[in-house]
Amino acid sequence: MAYTLQFGQVTPYLWYMAGGAWIALQLAGIAFLFGWAIGLVFAAVSEYGRGPLRWAVRGYVIFILNTPLLVQIFFIYFALPDVGILLGSYEAVAIGMALNASAYLTEIQRAGFRSLRRQELDAAETIGFSRVQTIRYVVLPHIVKVLFPPLSNQYIILTMTTSIAAIFGVEELTGRAYNINAETFRSLEIFSIAALYYVVLTFVASTVLYWIGHYFFRVQGKVF
Amino acid sequence: MDRLLEEIPRFFNYYNMIFIGQAFFYTTAMSFIGCTVGFAAGFGLAVMRHERIFRSLVLRLLAITYTEIFRRIPFLVKLMVVFFAFQLSGLEVSMFTVAVTTVALSAAAFASENVRAGLESVHDNQWDAAEAMNMGGLTALRRVVLPQSWPVIIPPSMTYSVGLVKSTSIASQIGVLELTYAAKVMTNKGFSAFLCYGTILVLYFVLCFSLNRFAAWLETRLDPTRHRPA
Repeated sequence: MAYTLQFGQVTPYLWYMAGGAWIALQLAGIAFLFGWAIGLVFAAVSEYGRGPLRWAVRGYVIFILNTPLLVQIFFIYFALPDVGILLGSYEAVAIGMALNASAYLTEIQRAGFRSLRRQELDAAETIGFSRVQTIRYVVLPHIVKVLFPPLSNQYIILTMTTSIAAIFGVEELTGRAYNINAETFRSLEIFSIAALYYVVLTFVASTVLYWIGHYFFRVQGKVF
Repeated sequence: MDRLLEEIPRFFNYYNMIFIGQAFFYTTAMSFIGCTVGFAAGFGLAVMRHERIFRSLVLRLLAITYTEIFRRIPFLVKLMVVFFAFQLSGLEVSMFTVAVTTVALSAAAFASENVRAGLESVHDNQWDAAEAMNMGGLTALRRVVLPQSWPVIIPPSMTYSVGLVKSTSIASQIGVLELTYAAKVMTNKGFSAFLCYGTILVLYFVLCFSLNRFAAWLETRLDPTRHRPA
C-alpha cells in the first residue's frame, strides 16, 4: 500500500509547534545561563585553583564531557529518587542540561582565560589603570571577542539538545511533535516539519548572534 | 543504601554481565559503522563543494544544502524522521539499521564541514602549483592537498565521533539494544536505577574517555601547526 504524504492535516498545528520552539529556546536559555555561571567558576578553579578542589572540578568536567546527556538526565530523573531527591521532569531536564552545559562552558571559558596575556595586564598597570579599569578596558573586550563565537555555538547546540526533553515528557518542540503524532498519526510529516523548525530556529539564532557579535563586540568569523 | 549494597552481587552476575557486554558491543558497533560510513559520505560532500575540484554549481548547492540542514536537526528528530521514512519506504529493516543510518547522516554533515576546513587550510598556491604540473582536480587533491590536510581533518572528526557515541544513547528510544536501553531493561527487572544508570555511565565514560585520549594523542602527533598556510 502506498503512503501519500499529507501535510494538510498538520497545518492546524503549526502555531502550536512554534510555541514549542519558544519553550525550547527558553529551556536552552536557562541551561545556558546556569551552565555559564557554573562554568565561569569552574574555569577559574581549573586555571588558578590548587589541590583537591581543582582535582574535584577537573574530575567533574571530564566525567560530564565523556558521558551522554540523556543518561545523565536519566540518572537525575530515575536514580536520584532512590536517595530521596525527587524532581519533576522539567526540572530534571533543566538541571541535567545545565550541569552538562557547565562542563562544556568550563572548557570554553578556560580557553578564554588562557588567551589573556601577562603583557596586557602589565601594560595596563604601566599606564596606571586601576583594577576595575583594567577589567573594563583590557580584560573584558579581549575575552568577549575570544569567547563570543564558541559561546554562541554552545547556545545553538543547546537549543538542539533540548529535543531530549521530549523523552521525559516536557512539551517543547519535539514533545509537541510527539503529541500531534499521537493525535493525527501523520508521523513523517510531523517530524519533518519539526526538523524544519529546528533548522530555521538555529539558522535564525546563528544569524542574530552573528550580527550581535559583529556590531557590538567586533567579532570576526562565523557562528555555527 | 543497605538495599543498594545487597543488590550489587545480584546485579553483577554472569548473565547480566553478558547482557550489558552485548549492549556495549552494540553501542560501539553502531557508532563505528555509522561514523565510518558517514565520514566517507561527508568526505564526498566536501569534495563535491570544493571549487577547485568540481566546477558544478548544482553539486555545490546540493552539498551545501545537505550539510547546512543536517547539522541543524537534533539527533532525536533525525532518528524519528529516518525511522518513519524507512517505514514509509516499506523496507523491512532492523532498528539497528535505522540507528546506524541516523548516525551516518549526522556524521556526514559534520565530516563534510571538517574536511572542508581541512581542504581550506591548504594554501591556494598548492592547487595552482598542482595545476601547473598538469594535474587534474582529483589528482591534485589526492597527491598534493590531502596529505597536507589530514592533520587538520582528523582531530576534530575524532572529537565529533565521540559526540556521536554519546548521541547513540538516544537510539534507545526506538528500542535498539544498546547501553541505555540495557539499563532501562535492568531497571524494569527491578534493580535500582542508581545501580543500572551508574554502571552504564561508567561504561560510556570508559569508551568516550579512551577515544578522547586517543584523539588528543593524535592531535599532538599530527601537529597541524606545521601545515598552516603562510
